[in-house]
Amino acid sequence: MEQLNQVLQWFAGAKDTYVNVYFGILRYMVPMLALVLLWRCIKPLLWFRREPEIWAWLYLNDGTKYAITHWESVIGRHKSSDVCIDFPTVSRNHAVLTRYDDGSWTIADANSKSGILVNGRQVSICALQADDVISVGGIEMTLMPITARQEQLMTQLRTKAGNGFDSVINLFLLTLLQCMFCLAFMMGGEFEHFPHILMGFGGITLCQWLLLIFYALIRRSSFELETVAFFLSTLGMTVIATVDPTETVKQLIAMGVGLLTFMLVGWSLRDLERAKKFRYIATAMGIGFLVITLLFGQEYHGAKNWLLIGGFTIQPSELSKLCFVFAGASTMERLMNKRNLILFIGYSVVICGFLALMNDFGTALIFFVAFLVIAYLRSGSVGTIALACTSLGFAGVIAIKIAPHALRRFSIWRHIWEDPYNLGFQQTRAIMCIASGGLFGLGAGRGKLKNVFAADSDLAFATLSEEWGLILGVMAVLCIVAIAIFAIRTAVMARSSFYIIGSCTAAAVLLTQTILNCLGTVDVLPLTGVTFPFLSNGGSSMICAWGLLAFIKAADTRQNASFAVRLLKRREEDADE
Amino acid sequence: MNRVSKRASAVIVLIAVLLGGLVFFLYEYATTADQWVVSAGSPHIYNSTNIGCGQILDRSGNMLLDLTQSRIYAQDQTVRKATLHWLGDRKGQISAPAVTHYAREMTGYDMINGLYSYGGMAGQAVLTLSSEIQKAALEALGDRKGTIGIYNYKTGEILCAVTAPTYDPDNVPDIEGDTTDRYEGIYLNRFTQSSYVPGSIFKVVSTAAALDCVDGITDMTFTCSGVYEYGTDKVTCEKVHGRQSLKMALANSCNCAYAQIVALIGKENMVKYVDQFQVTQPLSFDGITTAAGNYDVEQAAPVQLAWSGIGQHTDLVNPCRYMTFMGAIAGGGRAALPHLVAQVSAGEEITYTAGTTESGRIMSEEVAGTLKEYMRSNVQNVYGAGNFPGLTVCAKSGTSQLGGGQTSNAMFAGFVADEEYPLAFIVVVENGGYGSSTCVPVLSRILAVCKAEMDKT
Repeated sequence: MEQLNQVLQWFAGAKDTYVNVYFGILRYMVPMLALVLLWRCIKPLLWFRREPEIWAWLYLNDGTKYAITHWESVIGRHKSSDVCIDFPTVSRNHAVLTRYDDGSWTIADANSKSGILVNGRQVSICALQADDVISVGGIEMTLMPITARQEQLMTQLRTKAGNGFDSVINLFLLTLLQCMFCLAFMMGGEFEHFPHILMGFGGITLCQWLLLIFYALIRRSSFELETVAFFLSTLGMTVIATVDPTETVKQLIAMGVGLLTFMLVGWSLRDLERAKKFRYIATAMGIGFLVITLLFGQEYHGAKNWLLIGGFTIQPSELSKLCFVFAGASTMERLMNKRNLILFIGYSVVICGFLALMNDFGTALIFFVAFLVIAYLRSGSVGTIALACTSLGFAGVIAIKIAPHALRRFSIWRHIWEDPYNLGFQQTRAIMCIASGGLFGLGAGRGKLKNVFAADSDLAFATLSEEWGLILGVMAVLCIVAIAIFAIRTAVMARSSFYIIGSCTAAAVLLTQTILNCLGTVDVLPLTGVTFPFLSNGGSSMICAWGLLAFIKAADTRQNASFAVRLLKRREEDADE
Repeated sequence: MNRVSKRASAVIVLIAVLLGGLVFFLYEYATTADQWVVSAGSPHIYNSTNIGCGQILDRSGNMLLDLTQSRIYAQDQTVRKATLHWLGDRKGQISAPAVTHYAREMTGYDMINGLYSYGGMAGQAVLTLSSEIQKAALEALGDRKGTIGIYNYKTGEILCAVTAPTYDPDNVPDIEGDTTDRYEGIYLNRFTQSSYVPGSIFKVVSTAAALDCVDGITDMTFTCSGVYEYGTDKVTCEKVHGRQSLKMALANSCNCAYAQIVALIGKENMVKYVDQFQVTQPLSFDGITTAAGNYDVEQAAPVQLAWSGIGQHTDLVNPCRYMTFMGAIAGGGRAALPHLVAQVSAGEEITYTAGTTESGRIMSEEVAGTLKEYMRSNVQNVYGAGNFPGLTVCAKSGTSQLGGGQTSNAMFAGFVADEEYPLAFIVVVENGGYGSSTCVPVLSRILAVCKAEMDKT
């Protein structure tokens, strides 16, 4: 007992030494480990093989056959049509072939000149039976959907999206990182904050393993995107642990809610019919959130976007973003209909009006970019002009309504060193602290930026770089870039344009937030007070980021990749074998 | 579907913006991060406008200021008071440009590691000041306002530079609420930031000019009848000095003689020599720029020109600059320029070592030699060599009249001619009355401490 006491006393006496040694090692260990982890996660996201799925064959009566590789395919004379039939009587965009979740097919007229005939009967939309003869501009064809057996084979032959073993290794690496962070903050921090720090980091560890186990149970193996998101959340936790350790649990709860949102959005997207229904709810909620904010919101720092509910402050405009992505997504068949486009433009105008009333410049900008991406993805040649006009109006309203408030921020942009104690205070401190941290950082809790306002949200990138080095800060940005590139790459394989629009818009929102946050902090762009996805302290932002990630998951059709894509029922597989 | 898939590539624009912005920032980081770190208000380096990191030691390694945790000054109260103006206060009222100037060297910043050092090991700046001498100087000055500077004219090290009034940073008095004038200019570092009417110490300048440009000046004699008249205006002495040579005129500090000498030199030459001796020019070292002096005789009538050569009229000199001038005489016409920071280290690595910067030649060796002889004679015949045992002190006193019924400032400037003790000095006691009677006892005490300190090494 006495010996143990002695050892303990020696340990307490030598605290400075082992803390310093540990910090000295950690500053190189953390970026190295992070690099290995991210390389393992991001490589499969960027270099996976993109294999088309074949859902049916379209036989023309001249003997040619076309593979139908999506659930939605345009038949027309236009070169970019999925089935291009270069024949004068065929309209540029003639018809849309659509497959449903249950394997049934329909054909719909896309405002063609000559219309479509099914078994000689003129139709505008028609469910297809086997051996139905379709006539498009006088050219006859039959659709041959693949059989259940073929579908099963196709599914099995597709490249597997990673394997469970890799995911477990990755998660072990991440857990190791979390342990290292946690230990560092406990060594460098106050004793009273131990529980907060333990719960903060431990909570993320628990969540990530639970999600992995859940994935294993439902036979999903791709965990890279989630690992990247958990990695960013861990970095966010280090920022909160240094700025205000009492906030860690709050952020953890937000991440829990975020995961639930991730599941809910993913589940709703699994089934396209369900997704279409959810879309209406989301559209209504998008407006609803903004109306509630306007009616009951609190104004902080010039923007009215906070809601106080039972001690928690939430930012409904963040959730509104998620709804906007839902509202913007659309199936091919609807894309061909101008009316839907006009409705969406109308919807955007209303959203724009509310944002103008809220005076939140950063959020308005994110919505604007989301709108542009959706508009570009949706519009063919027809809507472009209308869309351009709307975007101009959008920009105009922002400029007129929000400018006076935002102008102050713009006036200091690229001139922060001329007023380092007032308007340029946050940015100059951030940049000086990033430089102070060097490439490897100063260590847990040793930063000084934490004394500056919004160090854990608007300036999170700088706080992270100061304590853990610019290398880690850059890695955080590259994580978001990797997620976005993945979204672009999966677009080719997505089954419905609904998923492409959803995932690309989600990626665009994540990117825009990162652009405004990171580049705003370092004065490459004006500072707008936008959060860094997953990283910044902010519950609503965390929930939104996870929700957006679900959209990206839904477009990933690699074998067993995504819980947001339905698997063949185990029963069906067994029956065929 | 194909076309929607293709349009997905539009997101690349955003990726390009993000990566482009990031690369731009990294470029800025690579090229300017070293400047960012030491920019005004940098949280890791400054505490308001003063340096907020590292440790500052005196020449013997005594801690003057420890900034590793909070702002801890020296243990001794008098040392705290005597060094405050070089270290800066807690509120940023007193700025300390010298140590702040070496913030970058002290932090050991490099682009890879930033400010990281193992265990947060502090940087150190070693000043040339000696806390023992500082303490002695402040004690010798007592409650009086003024400044004392002593430096090694061979190496440039400032051994002593005190300014008064000052206060104890650990026990700040109620300066704002004080109604007497005892705290007047308390935030000012009089050694570098003030300019004084030089009075008779300026006669050294006139003497040097006369020696250089008036042929046969050493053989001439000048008669003093107590008054030297210019029509209604006049230059006066406190007593009748009679016939004297230049050497005697300097020793007697005879105004009437100098009125005649300055007339011989002429206005143009006076301006030329003041410029050549640099006595009114600001001096820059260690991020400090001293106050400029003044010598303006453009519109001066003959009587005013005479007064200008006696260190009155509109003449002003900065103590630090004038001390350097004394060093140049001692050094035979050239001297090392003063500096305050001897060495800076970051962790184990020495990042800055002061070198000796020489002034150019400002007077011929011959003139300097004659001046030295004259100034030595001043001490021997007037001030009393016995006040400075073991030291060959050469000096000139001054009693600068301020007008407005104020008691004159007591001034005393000179140097030690010994090889082992190459020290130049200036003593200013505001409203101290007669230069020699006020300053000699003060200097006598301090030089004794200086000698003892130098004998140690």
